Amino acid sequence: MNDLSVRRFYGWFTALGLLVGVLVVVGYYRDEYREWKEYQRKFIQEEIRRASTPQQRALAESTPVQIRQILLTDLNRVDRCTTCHLAVEDPSYGGYPQPLAYHPLHEQHPFERFGCTICHRGQGRATTVADAHGNVPHWDQPMLPLQYIQASCGQCHEAADNPAAPELARGQQVFEDSGCRGCHKLNGVGGVIGPELDKVGARRSPEWLKKHFLAPASVTPGSAMPPQIFSETNLEAIILFMLSQTGESAPGYYASMRVIPSASEGQRLFQQKGCIGCHSIGDQGGKVGPALDDVGLRRPPEWMMQHFRDPQTVSPGTVMPRFGFTETEARALTDFLVHLRDQKVALSLPSLMSPVERGREVFRKYGCAGCHGADAKGGVPNPNAKTAEQVPGLIYVADGYTKDELKKRILNGQREITALDPKRPPPPLFMAAWAGIIKDSELDDLVAYLFSLKPKEENPGF
Amino acid sequence: MNHSASENKNEVSRRSFFQLTLGWLASTFAVAASAAGAVRFLVPNVLYEPSLRFKAGKPDDYPDGSVTFMEDERVFLVRQGNTFRCLSAICTHLGCTVNRADHGYHCPCHGSVFNDQGNVVSGPAPRGLEWFQVTLSKDNRLLVDKNQRVAADKYLVL
Amino acid sequence: MNAPLPKRIWQWFTRTRVGRSIFRVGLPESNLERSQAMVSSFLLHVQPAKVNRHSLRASYSLGLGLISLYLFLILIVTGVLLMFYYVPSTEKAYDIMKDLQYVVSAGLVIRNMHRWAAHLMVLFVLLHLCRVFYTGAYKRPREFNWVIGVGLFLLTLGLSFTGYLLPWDQLAFWAITVGTNIAGYAPVIGLKLKYLLLGENVVGQEALTRFYALHVIVLPAVALLMVAVHLWRVRKDGGLSRPDEPGDIVQQVELKQLPTNKSYGLMELARGTTPQVGQNPEDEVFSWPHLVFRELLLFLLVTAVVLFLAIFWNAPLEELANPIHPPNPAKAPWYFLGLQELVSYSAFWGGVVVPGLLVTALMLLPYMDRQRKGVGRWFARERAVANTIFTVCLVTAIVLTIIGTLFRGPNWGWVVPWEQPPTITEGH
Repeated sequence: MNDLSVRRFYGWFTALGLLVGVLVVVGYYRDEYREWKEYQRKFIQEEIRRASTPQQRALAESTPVQIRQILLTDLNRVDRCTTCHLAVEDPSYGGYPQPLAYHPLHEQHPFERFGCTICHRGQGRATTVADAHGNVPHWDQPMLPLQYIQASCGQCHEAADNPAAPELARGQQVFEDSGCRGCHKLNGVGGVIGPELDKVGARRSPEWLKKHFLAPASVTPGSAMPPQIFSETNLEAIILFMLSQTGESAPGYYASMRVIPSASEGQRLFQQKGCIGCHSIGDQGGKVGPALDDVGLRRPPEWMMQHFRDPQTVSPGTVMPRFGFTETEARALTDFLVHLRDQKVALSLPSLMSPVERGREVFRKYGCAGCHGADAKGGVPNPNAKTAEQVPGLIYVADGYTKDELKKRILNGQREITALDPKRPPPPLFMAAWAGIIKDSELDDLVAYLFSLKPKEENPGF
Repeated sequence: MNHSASENKNEVSRRSFFQLTLGWLASTFAVAASAAGAVRFLVPNVLYEPSLRFKAGKPDDYPDGSVTFMEDERVFLVRQGNTFRCLSAICTHLGCTVNRADHGYHCPCHGSVFNDQGNVVSGPAPRGLEWFQVTLSKDNRLLVDKNQRVAADKYLVL
Repeated sequence: MNAPLPKRIWQWFTRTRVGRSIFRVGLPESNLERSQAMVSSFLLHVQPAKVNRHSLRASYSLGLGLISLYLFLILIVTGVLLMFYYVPSTEKAYDIMKDLQYVVSAGLVIRNMHRWAAHLMVLFVLLHLCRVFYTGAYKRPREFNWVIGVGLFLLTLGLSFTGYLLPWDQLAFWAITVGTNIAGYAPVIGLKLKYLLLGENVVGQEALTRFYALHVIVLPAVALLMVAVHLWRVRKDGGLSRPDEPGDIVQQVELKQLPTNKSYGLMELARGTTPQVGQNPEDEVFSWPHLVFRELLLFLLVTAVVLFLAIFWNAPLEELANPIHPPNPAKAPWYFLGLQELVSYSAFWGGVVVPGLLVTALMLLPYMDRQRKGVGRWFARERAVANTIFTVCLVTAIVLTIIGTLFRGPNWGWVVPWEQPPTITEGH
């Protein structure tokens, strides 16, 4: 009986009981003493220090220490950044070190409606610094470095429209100029040699994108994409533009608010509503209404706005119908008309352009420059291709093809590219078949443009 | 056999005394603390309902002498001159949303009538409509806090 | 000295009127009371009034069955708490897991406790199975209890598997995709079984709902019932196995009222291999306090270990489940990795035949085993053949699991674990 006596276990009992007790206490402390509480306490101290009246002091002292969150059901997010970033709305905290700094320029995008992560990314639900800023394993949307913040504008706004995001507009320009669409589809338009880019901004980091542009094979083994040559500014801009392609759709309220009344939006509306049917610009258009070339000189913007709201009120007896424009649309159209005198704006109206000019736009739209070089001059490497290891330029197509042959060639493509050396790997770039992608009218214009590229006969006398 | 004798006599050695007491205290504490922890676990720290503190726009959005109904928050924003107040639109009888009348407020459900101060004039409502605290946020917006009920004569003066 | 304070407080309480109404027997002070305390208590009467002293030896049973039971209890308590927050919706589940970590008080600790207790339970149920095998404790009359035990082992795997999906992260989603695909390889019923489990053709909301229902009510209820039967059978089969058991000497006890002015309750009337049969008085000790106190200690130990793990190591949570981005490789939960390794050689033989045969062999084992000797001792010589076969199977299973865990990388190719990250996610 003695060796079974439980008394020799009393010591164990004490030890284990104490161990469990201690562990419970440790668990409690780790749970209770969270990082964010320290930041809140520092903020409260600061508020107390700055209080100039007893009421302010009392208000500061009674500030509860609790998690703060912005609930954004439409965007399917919860942002808890304001648990630490407590002074984002208070201008008097400008210049303070983070996390107590003021966040300027939020008038257009009040925090209660937009939260933080829709622009800055990161992990809104987290309440520790490292996890919230998102540079942690198993979170694929870390915070955007501040230099790329304009990329987020592109999630809702048209890149070219936004005066507050010039880098984004530049990025889109670089994208179109470089002909990336020749291989990559974006928003449904483009080639099929490379992957679609609609969600690339959500999946790839800025570092990856930079490497990808400069040396594609280093991040995507076996890639057919030739290394790109960009100036530093253009490189950053196109990275930014890529980051803006996240595939986020702006729901309800956000979609209704996202139009920026800019000249390019106005131009789109001008096309859409068919104003050219009654009004003329240059020698194109209808004669029912007055010519619009110099309307910016003749009418002040307020008059134009009222005219769009209700034509009868400023032009009694006019036949111009009431289109029911929203204020934003009216402002966009006004802006467009005011800038109509700028050459660039007027010439981009497709209905005013010649087939060659339209063809140049088609060349740009489908990104042909990505393989055939800027202005179709060639120079894009295609290793082991018989054509001097390059994708051929198109300047002399008028010599080698009839118009019909050229159209067929574009529609059918050429999958097999003759190799220079059969022992080396086949050339990675090939001519895709554009049948079903390019429209017939676009094809006609494109051929017209390509035929126009042949340089005029040089003066033999020189 | 002195061990078994002491077992039966409800006596233990001094060492056993301390060991057992300490062990039971620690264990009981652990159980109690765990139970308290489990209860605290069940108390929510964040809510997934619209916040009771919300911004009601800029002061200038509200014309002088206006009573503006805010549908989602079920309150009226009242401006007179430079003073701003916020009145609950929830009838104190059974919770219907009251309507603004020329003067005062009428409840369409059981006919309670409230005056401009929110007090009950007639009908089954047991007490007046509640006034909520209005302050000015750091970015110059009206900030309504439905957690804070205030007297009818406490308003924001700008 | 007088009895320690807690004991005196309790003695006082159990003599008050309220105390007496709840606890019909106070702190026992005589042998009679010690017996009564066990037999007349709802919770305690799963134990007998007396146990054989051999059963108390930690070196014999290692307390593995008890540990499994305690882990199950911890899982139930933490699981119920988690149910107050968790919603089995593909839209919400992942966010709720994040909330548990960041905004719910003690959320992280309780979730961690649940996860680590779950892994430990799979391990300890397996260890318990091994212990029972190596001590020959499945032999007559305990054959059916062994079968129940194997059933409980499968239930434990099922509980762990159904719970694995609930966080709805990449780890969960793909592990269950792999696991249900393996289930689909079974002949005839495989695809139907997979369809029944998933509720549709892919792992989606239907699967989550079903797995949740299985995990929180169906499997736990069945498991609790089977645990109750399992413990009942332990008692009725004569307690834990011992080396000096009478073996198949079954003494029929005449069913007649024995003259008694003692109140040992049910035990006089029971028939068969009751604890009273074939026992020498010197071998028996009262459960109170010898068994009960040891059980208490073990419970404290298990709680301490689970708490320790939960406080210092976080349960994993990867990215939100993404059906179009499989990690490469996609791995089943660790206890199925040996199976996944087998499947990589042959879906039919590795995924269906071998495991099927193994489970069947396990269940039929006690009925196939003719050797009567070797009960109650570890690694008894008489059972060398059986022990060897079992050990070979066990080691093979462990090796396969280790291979599947550490030595398989992208496309299920060979990797050396210390040279390469174990998985890459496609598209990143």
